[in-house]
Amino acid sequence: MGVMDDPLRRPSDAEVGAALQQNEVMGGPVRLPGGIALPVQIERVLGFGRSFSFWPLLFGLACCAIEMMALGGSRFDMARFGMEAMRASPRQADGMIVAGWCTIKMAPRVVRLYEQIPDPKWVLAMGSCAVSGNVWDTYHVVQGIDSLIPVDVYVPGCPPRPEALWQGLEMIRDRVKQSRHAYDGLRRIPAREVLLHGEPRP
Amino acid sequence: MNEGLDTSLTVVLAKLEKRFGGRLRKQTECCGDLTITVEPEDWMRVLSFCRSARELAFDQLDCLLGDHLPERTGAPFEVVVHLLSHTHGHRLRVTTPLAEGQDLPTITGLWPSAGFDEREAWEMYGIVFAGHPDLRRLLTTEDFEGFPMRKDFPLRGTVGGRIRTDLRGKI
Repeated sequence: MGVMDDPLRRPSDAEVGAALQQNEVMGGPVRLPGGIALPVQIERVLGFGRSFSFWPLLFGLACCAIEMMALGGSRFDMARFGMEAMRASPRQADGMIVAGWCTIKMAPRVVRLYEQIPDPKWVLAMGSCAVSGNVWDTYHVVQGIDSLIPVDVYVPGCPPRPEALWQGLEMIRDRVKQSRHAYDGLRRIPAREVLLHGEPRP
Repeated sequence: MNEGLDTSLTVVLAKLEKRFGGRLRKQTECCGDLTITVEPEDWMRVLSFCRSARELAFDQLDCLLGDHLPERTGAPFEVVVHLLSHTHGHRLRVTTPLAEGQDLPTITGLWPSAGFDEREAWEMYGIVFAGHPDLRRLLTTEDFEGFPMRKDFPLRGTVGGRIRTDLRGKI
């Protein structure tokens, strides 16, 4: 298989504890320079503000992107929720909507775009192909984008209606308010783990 | 045989028959479209004639396709080109049968747009286009193994290629 066997293995508590001591674990509370954690109240205010200006990356892979555009258009109009500004640069984005199947040729690009988004970031896997590969158990489709990057919300469907994507974005908004990320507790994102083991396993 | 053909296509067929005569393997006509089958050795000559003759004047290559027909044991592969003439407004399909491992001369010299199509036909079917300036894989990863559109390629499973996350810094 072209994808790692168990890339999203949750580390055990002992591993997380050791990583916390070395300050290696990702996510967690917002920290000032010097490692001082912000008080929870301030973090909640920040999360509240963030939740109303969630800017996804302007990035569509396949037919699901059409439904994503429909959500951006006037009929469904995600501008109502402060999500209308699709950023063309990952440096300015708060997260990405992986809309459609990802080929193994595109996969390194997706990982690179994900890595270029500054923390905190949220990922929504849109459509059955991004979730699980759908019927494309074939030579060239990644069987679920979560084998490469941590995913916050899965929206199945082929393709999902704009309302479904909207609900997924509402769930993302909840996670933004609570400062919860898919990479919380992960020591590294899976694609980086592949790198640490040298050549990715075939 | 040519009742359904347009006048300009009738001229095309007459010109081709006059020029190549018995070397045309077969011509078929369906729904007003003309398809001629040629030998691989005549591939270049027929197509350059199509490009340059005044009554044919096929100035655009719509697409170049490969095909795998394993039941044809002698010549399991086929290459098809779709031609379009903006001068006369007619279209033509030219096909040629190919044996396993048989080369075909490139037509990038006639229509430069054939470059991508030939790369794709090569990576999907393993049909080598001799003289192509840059015969690299187009849609699959560089280290992909096998020709995925062949009928004997496995339908299921991520076989042949792998995710090159190590390349992401260079992309």
